[in-house]
Amino acid sequence: MKTLIVIREKDYGWLSPFFPGVNPLVMPVCNKPFIEFLIDFSILAGSSAIRIISDGPLNEVERYCEDGSRWGVDVSYASILGNDSIETVIEKNRKYCADQRLLIISGYLFIRYENRQELRHCFAMASGGTLAENERGSIVLAGTPEITGQLPAATPFSLVEFDSIDNYFRLSAEILKEYPSPYVLPGYCNEPDCHIGRNVVIGKGAEIRKPVIIGNNVQIMKGAVVGPSAVVGSNVIIDRESTVSRSILLDNTYIGEQLEVVDRIAAGNILVDPRSGVSIAMEDPHLLSSLPGSAHIGSGLFRYLFHAIVALLLILLLSLPYLMLVPLLKIQGKWKTGSFTFHDIRQGKNLRFVMPSIADEGGIGSLAKALSLDRFPMLFRALAGTIAVIGSFPVEVSHRLEAGYAATGYRPAVFSYAEAEDWPVNAEDSAIVEQFYAAHGSPVRDMVLTIKAFLNRIHSKVQ
Amino acid sequence: MTVEEKKCHDLTIVSINGSLEASSVPGFMKSSPALTDSQSIVIDLAGVDFLDSSGLGCLVTIARKKREQGGDVRLACLNEKLRRVFEVTQAFRLFDIYDDAESAATTAANK
Repeated sequence: MKTLIVIREKDYGWLSPFFPGVNPLVMPVCNKPFIEFLIDFSILAGSSAIRIISDGPLNEVERYCEDGSRWGVDVSYASILGNDSIETVIEKNRKYCADQRLLIISGYLFIRYENRQELRHCFAMASGGTLAENERGSIVLAGTPEITGQLPAATPFSLVEFDSIDNYFRLSAEILKEYPSPYVLPGYCNEPDCHIGRNVVIGKGAEIRKPVIIGNNVQIMKGAVVGPSAVVGSNVIIDRESTVSRSILLDNTYIGEQLEVVDRIAAGNILVDPRSGVSIAMEDPHLLSSLPGSAHIGSGLFRYLFHAIVALLLILLLSLPYLMLVPLLKIQGKWKTGSFTFHDIRQGKNLRFVMPSIADEGGIGSLAKALSLDRFPMLFRALAGTIAVIGSFPVEVSHRLEAGYAATGYRPAVFSYAEAEDWPVNAEDSAIVEQFYAAHGSPVRDMVLTIKAFLNRIHSKVQ
Repeated sequence: MTVEEKKCHDLTIVSINGSLEASSVPGFMKSSPALTDSQSIVIDLAGVDFLDSSGLGCLVTIARKKREQGGDVRLACLNEKLRRVFEVTQAFRLFDIYDDAESAATTAANK
């Protein structure tokens, strides 16, 4: 049997606003990524191959699941459009679906089951049709039964309400407390209801109260109390004399000293009250803040050096024209400045800076624009490392989410890759080429593309 | 780079073999009239071993022009390398992507 897991962006739209940096498909439920629950279910149902299909980005899912060899199945990936029906999805994956019984899990669903053995028998004997459905999705089986026999009176699985932050919170608590065994939660479990990951440091006088699940690389400082009903992700610090109970701490979270976190979800510096759905971003890093994940510091530094050198060369080249032409433009009223706020995903913060524009072209204005003097002040930002010399054209914070810029690679810069490639510039097309180079770029290529972008601007004005 | 054409359900399937990059894009655009007319086509990318931003731009341009004239482009048989390019650039949002050229042609013909 093969499985298609079809999850559309609109299916998990309710979750994205709470945790903007996390792909909902790998969002941890009891420290186990959501998608792994569906993979487990598919394997227990008898699948030997699983295809994960979405109209949204799958790169984080792919990074986690890879080719599925860790589960002993083939995992592959495919993209669809948002309005494709299930029939169209099957048509688009006809080669994959041919000649096999097919299980289709459609929607952002959580499937509850207790007896793992029963699942395989049930799916082997079931004839085609919808086996379970709710308003969020369905489980459909296609093809003829593999074996004949008596089906159990009730299906050995059911769909759980999973469409609000409160449901997410309750579900995590419920799995931890009542149903940990069928789902195989991550971490060592020497005694019931207590799962602890690798490299967990527990300080003197710290208390762990069951049920609890703790991820990898966690520090629980002196006098802290964790649990009951606490889900602590990986790379978390709970500082001295703090209490975390009936709460979820997602990965890379720091909880300050002498705090009490009860009935809350904390993710980085965001604190969510699951019952009301209210979330706040904490400003004080001593209370709650995000911890850096594993970053490639070496390559980042190398890239910064290249960008700084290019920025410095351009500053030296453009200083004289800037000093000569800009005062003239200011006198003519053609030099205008505006203040913009951009989001830098890499640094995880908003950047506010002044961006000049040359209002009227012609004569000095054209020459200044051809020489990219409107970008001159931004070069100092690039020299300081707050933005890149070449990358994505900065997008105003308010447009960030709609434009799909949450995807990896968005990096505000003085020049954009789209300018270097002279692509037909509209928002969608620019994003494509920017993301292409964000993934395939190198410091040397960045330098070449910066020169290309600079020359393209001169060329476009000369024409 | 070589380009082959075949018909399926009155639809042209254009199969590309080799690299679709800055140097081969102009030749590719001239290789078949089906790429520039208003008819819907299927582009079979099974044989493409490298795709750069110019190649991607060329596919986007073909699709955009065809859609302006009432046609469409469906892509088929993306290998793993290409699928990653489409994934990181989010170009998958612009195309109907099939894992089989003939089913792409059948669906397009039935529309």
